[in-house]
Amino acid sequence: MSQKGQIVSGYIAPHPPHLVYGENPPQNIPRSTGGWEVLRWAYDNVREKIKAQKPDVIIVHTPHWMTMVGHHITRVPRLKGLSVDPIFPHLFRYNFDTAIDVDLADAIYDEAIAEGMTAKKMTNPNFRLDYGTIVTSHMLNPDWDIPIISLSANNSPYYFSLNVGIEEMFKLGRATRRAIEKTGRRAVLAASNTLSHYHFDREPDPNLPEDMSKEHVFSHQNYLWDMRVLQLMREGNMDELMKVLPQFIDATSAEVKSGGLFWMLAAMDFPNIPAKVHGYWSVIATGNAVVEWDLTKGANGHQGAYAHA
Amino acid sequence: MPDGQIVKGYIVPGLPHLVLPRDSSSRAELRNACRLAGANARQARPDVLVIFSTQWISVLGHMVQTRPNPKGMHVDENWYALGDLPYDFHTDFDLAKRTIELGVAAGLQIRPVDFEGFPVDTGTLVALDFFNPKNELPVVCIACNIYAGREEELKLGQAVHDAIRALGRRAVVIGSSGLSGHWFTKDIQDSEDRIVGDGDDAENRRMLDLIASGKFTEAMDAMPEYARKTGADMQFKAFFWLIGALGSKNVKAKTLGYGPVWGSGAAVIEFSL
Ligand SMILES: [Fe+2]
Repeated sequence: MSQKGQIVSGYIAPHPPHLVYGENPPQNIPRSTGGWEVLRWAYDNVREKIKAQKPDVIIVHTPHWMTMVGHHITRVPRLKGLSVDPIFPHLFRYNFDTAIDVDLADAIYDEAIAEGMTAKKMTNPNFRLDYGTIVTSHMLNPDWDIPIISLSANNSPYYFSLNVGIEEMFKLGRATRRAIEKTGRRAVLAASNTLSHYHFDREPDPNLPEDMSKEHVFSHQNYLWDMRVLQLMREGNMDELMKVLPQFIDATSAEVKSGGLFWMLAAMDFPNIPAKVHGYWSVIATGNAVVEWDLTKGANGHQGAYAHA
Repeated sequence: MPDGQIVKGYIVPGLPHLVLPRDSSSRAELRNACRLAGANARQARPDVLVIFSTQWISVLGHMVQTRPNPKGMHVDENWYALGDLPYDFHTDFDLAKRTIELGVAAGLQIRPVDFEGFPVDTGTLVALDFFNPKNELPVVCIACNIYAGREEELKLGQAVHDAIRALGRRAVVIGSSGLSGHWFTKDIQDSEDRIVGDGDDAENRRMLDLIASGKFTEAMDAMPEYARKTGADMQFKAFFWLIGALGSKNVKAKTLGYGPVWGSGAAVIEFSL
């Protein structure tokens, strides 16, 4: 029996393809003159930390793999291919190649079923990872030398209601934590989410997307909301954070509605430790922050106190 | 050059259950209706297919495929277990380009898409499977903007119409779209499939009756309410686009098939001019 596993840290790790585009890594075909540096520098800090922590696996919950029937889990040993962003193909055409932690994938599946959820193992080797998974994984670990797992976003918060969606995410979070513990993994979690999500309805200049003189938040209201939520995270005020997230989603169309943040907080047992905000900036007007919860510093969890009926 | 014309129009469902797995006998009525639509379309001897798909989603304006020879392997993100959809087809570049020019002139934001590996969507590929099984005909593929409403889709359809006429093409225009959009959220057997939303079946039939009786304006007027009640696939805006392309005069519509796909509504509708 392996040693009990643990979640090392959790990140809000947003996935605008602009961040990869701005960086010009060899895997991405389009070239840029930079852009969105504050967010990219934020990710630089995180990369260093992840390198030092040497986790066994990075688990990404992505809103751009939207599934209708249950929660899907990548379960093939290796996935590779060319991923072209359907919305921003001029920015993101990325050659990905990653190992998948299939034993942990099996364990998450088993634990999700034990929670009474509908879950599926994605076993098609020709499957193309979505750009949410790829951008988040790349920004956290551009060397791709740590296996990943991608979890789909079941569309229950849109199809049924936010509360139904949150309840599902709490279950999936608990399932993920138990799977990590049972398989002895040291895991990093990533909620691949933007905060406020209103965006420009056209690119200011499609020929120079990285023109930062054109980049700004969508509105002061959205900005204030992003700051309020980030401040609660920085204070470790989990009670208030959980209370305002539904209002935040309502007011700013925040992408966290798709579930990743709720899943991650539940998996981490709602740690009331201060989170570290590594950076915040807008990308085509949406609000994006790189936020870290470092669980190696010790967290006093809430034991599932945020049950949604 | 003689004026071009649209010889047929279709609404066809875009879910992969109608083509995968290849040997399945499920949903026979819908499959047969799709096959009949494809055969009728070929009999009209078109020299191009124009396909608008609700599963090719655009956010910043509209998109039109301009890559001369899109090819690759598509795996549906939900239905990957049914099988893969390899593709290798040719684009009518001149028609795509003219459509973009005319749409932009009409005030639309439209972008050409010409990238290796750009994901071609399930809805387009399911339509190609029935209408262009040997990939002999060139194609123009058009995305579905999630924000666009009736006026905008009519304009986009009109741009297609004008481009076809200007270039002298004989075209079949196809909207790949489902009807009601409620579905089973748990696993089902194929034999258990039915229209799952309360009242969706009646609403679908009412909409199909309006269309089949040629009351296209009434159908369009009824669309917001229909879409709200049934969670219709992209608000069934494919119909606006199709009417924009066909025009609404001297067009006869006929339902070739109707049934459920995983709880959602699906119909094959043929428009003859
Ligand atoms: Fe996103």
